[in-house]
Amino acid sequence: MFKTISALRRNGVMGINERNVRYVNALNPRRLFYLVDDKFETKRVAAEADIPTPELYGVIRNARDMKKLDELLDHKDGFVLKPAQGSQGKGIIVIDKPLKGGWRLANGRRITIDALKFQINNILSGMYSLGGQPDKALIEYRVKFDDVFSEISFKGVPDIRVIVLRGIPVFSMLRLPTAESDGKANLHRGGVGVGVDVATGKTQMAMQHDTMIDIHPDTANPIGNLQVPFWEDILSMSARSYDVIGLGYIGVDIVLDKDRGPLLLELNARPGISIQIANRIGMRPVLEAAMKKSAEQLTWQERVAYAKTLSKKAVDISKNGGDPAEPAAS
Amino acid sequence: MTNSLRHALLLALLLIIVGSGIFLTKIVKLQYPLAPDEKATIWDFEIYLEFDGRDDPARLAVYLPAGDVERTFPQEQFFNGPFGLSLVTEPETRNRRAVWTYRYPSNRKVLRYTAKTIGETASTPLPTSFTRNDPPPPAEEPDPVKRQAFIVWSADMRRRSADDASFADLTLSEIFRTGSGNQQSADEISVLMNDRSTTLTRLELARETFHSQGIPARIVNGVYLTEGRRRVDLQHWLEYHINGEDLRFFPNGEPSRFFTIWYGDNQLVEASGIYELDTQLTLKSQQNAAIDIARNTKGPLRAFNKFFSFNDLPLTTQLVYKVLVTIPVGITILVFLRQFIGIKTVGTFMPVLIGIAFRETALLNGLLLFSMLVALGLAIRFYLERLQMLLVPRLAVVLISIIIMMAGITLIMSDSDQSIGLSISLFPMVILAMTIERMSITWEESSPGEAIKQGIGSMIVASLTYLAMSNAQVEYLMYQFPELLFVLMGLCVLMGRYTGLRLSELWRFRQLATS
Repeated sequence: MFKTISALRRNGVMGINERNVRYVNALNPRRLFYLVDDKFETKRVAAEADIPTPELYGVIRNARDMKKLDELLDHKDGFVLKPAQGSQGKGIIVIDKPLKGGWRLANGRRITIDALKFQINNILSGMYSLGGQPDKALIEYRVKFDDVFSEISFKGVPDIRVIVLRGIPVFSMLRLPTAESDGKANLHRGGVGVGVDVATGKTQMAMQHDTMIDIHPDTANPIGNLQVPFWEDILSMSARSYDVIGLGYIGVDIVLDKDRGPLLLELNARPGISIQIANRIGMRPVLEAAMKKSAEQLTWQERVAYAKTLSKKAVDISKNGGDPAEPAAS
Repeated sequence: MTNSLRHALLLALLLIIVGSGIFLTKIVKLQYPLAPDEKATIWDFEIYLEFDGRDDPARLAVYLPAGDVERTFPQEQFFNGPFGLSLVTEPETRNRRAVWTYRYPSNRKVLRYTAKTIGETASTPLPTSFTRNDPPPPAEEPDPVKRQAFIVWSADMRRRSADDASFADLTLSEIFRTGSGNQQSADEISVLMNDRSTTLTRLELARETFHSQGIPARIVNGVYLTEGRRRVDLQHWLEYHINGEDLRFFPNGEPSRFFTIWYGDNQLVEASGIYELDTQLTLKSQQNAAIDIARNTKGPLRAFNKFFSFNDLPLTTQLVYKVLVTIPVGITILVFLRQFIGIKTVGTFMPVLIGIAFRETALLNGLLLFSMLVALGLAIRFYLERLQMLLVPRLAVVLISIIIMMAGITLIMSDSDQSIGLSISLFPMVILAMTIERMSITWEESSPGEAIKQGIGSMIVASLTYLAMSNAQVEYLMYQFPELLFVLMGLCVLMGRYTGLRLSELWRFRQLATS
């Protein structure tokens, strides 16, 4: 056990406690949390910085708004229904296209108008929101995901998670939905996380359930060495988001749309630490290096440029890390 | 080290120092016992005076123990009969005297004084007034032979010793012949003792010799505390002070516990106008709860008994606090399990609340009931899901069905096992309903495995916190030493700044642990 501890410390692996104390608590003032906790607010602020987000079709705030529902839901290409204050992808319904008396869900099942209204009521009553306070239901554009990852995802929308420390995009990961995750690119639910080199935007190793893998569990296609398109745009969006959000340690979730390019999906003020396994890198050396940089005086271009040099450093750490197939000595 | 970290560490340190400081003061100075049923011996000490009065004005002055910290008297009683009583304190020696007076006593009379004491041990410090004072010069000896002998004797002692300590040791061994037998000054000693070689005269000689060397010393009169009930004799010993150290010399061997009555070479009783005085000293030992004795301690630290204790509150309030003060123990354990081990639970403090609920049911029954009710509740919750109800009404339905299930279990159990059936009555159904709701959401949104994992985690944490909170030792410690709350708080502050890996993360990141 002490061997494991010292090896993890040497490799700079950061635990939840450290993330909370050093980064989340220290850099994220609570009064700004509403900007990331409420996706409606996130969209509003992102628009200020010209960061594209999925188009908002409508907001349902109360029972009266439900009357406009038919109108709001009238989108042939489908739509997404989500709680404004949901977390970890909870309560999100992705509608593929209209069917008679209802809709077809992205996972192929059918949902009736009653079931949908029930879901909206659940959202409004705060079932998915933090602390259970009343919530809004957002109806927005359904992302038509870029084919580039279709070989390595199973239904659903893959997204890109970028960890941004004081405006410097320090780590990134591509998250792929699997059969197990029900079309959601959520690692908790069995999605696959693929490390992406910040400097180049190329995919590297991958993980599922905190275990390393190198092929997609459903499609069996190799995951590594793919180029994420629009990589410069993704870095720019991530870096610029800091200027309007003001939180020093966030996870920026970005999706790639076939027509509209990268879209900011949501922000997370407590991004998870599994990204270390996906990248096979301990975060601590990179985060501590980035903390020393006086990021406030840099433009976003300078921050992105700096991030790329950091990433080189990170790759070096990974090379020191040894053979990935070798299980840990414990 | 950042500012906030320094601040947190300082706060934690302060809390822990304050808490354990008060705790240690109570343990060491007030002798609070650490275990709930610890016994301590308390002695009933009695001075019994019986005499004939023959219509002469009578006056009896009797030394009483001074009422200071180390020899507490929670209950000091005087049985005066028709006599008048006045108490006289001699500030110089801290001696205290009871003076009983009566104008025309007749017949046989009895006076009594009783006190309870825990006695002193050799480590009990001497009063500071004594150690601070310089000894008075030795009394002028009228007899020139004796004077000469004393000068020769003390000079001899001085010559053969190196310092105060060896001087004292040598003097005592010469006087009491505890040495190897070659008393070179035996002649002087026998002259000085006047051939009345009692313990008291020897002690007086030792005192005078000590004073000639400038060592504070005095004769102590008291009794040795022994088990059982018996008449005891007065004992005499010597107290002296060398190089900041309090020392006692017991000529008849050191007793485990003793009890000081007065200082100096006066008699215990000074009487006039009475006849055929019979004085008896009696001791009776009895076992008492050590905590009761400690709590009644008098003296400068008395405030600790009042401000850091619940014992003066009304009984019902005391009972509430008895439970309340154990909860922080459970919470601290929970914090540890979350921050250091990484156990996942349903809700944050819910496991502790469940642990408190186990108080009513005991552990096994509680676990059984809890998992049974949660399982049934989950089934109902999934059924209700299909009815597409709103959140709050649905919670209400779950809650009511839990009460119905509890009633059912009680009715079934009341035939076979009454204790379960009745203990269920206070099982917190709101906690149950919330647990079910949260678990069912986790079940759907994450996975059944995750929900069950969190459920089992909660059960483990609840069991551990229950075992800690219901432990008699823990309950006793927290109740008698509420200052430990500061210590727990300090520990939680420390754990709040713990940035190391959790035990579960060692497993989670095992693949990154390559070297």
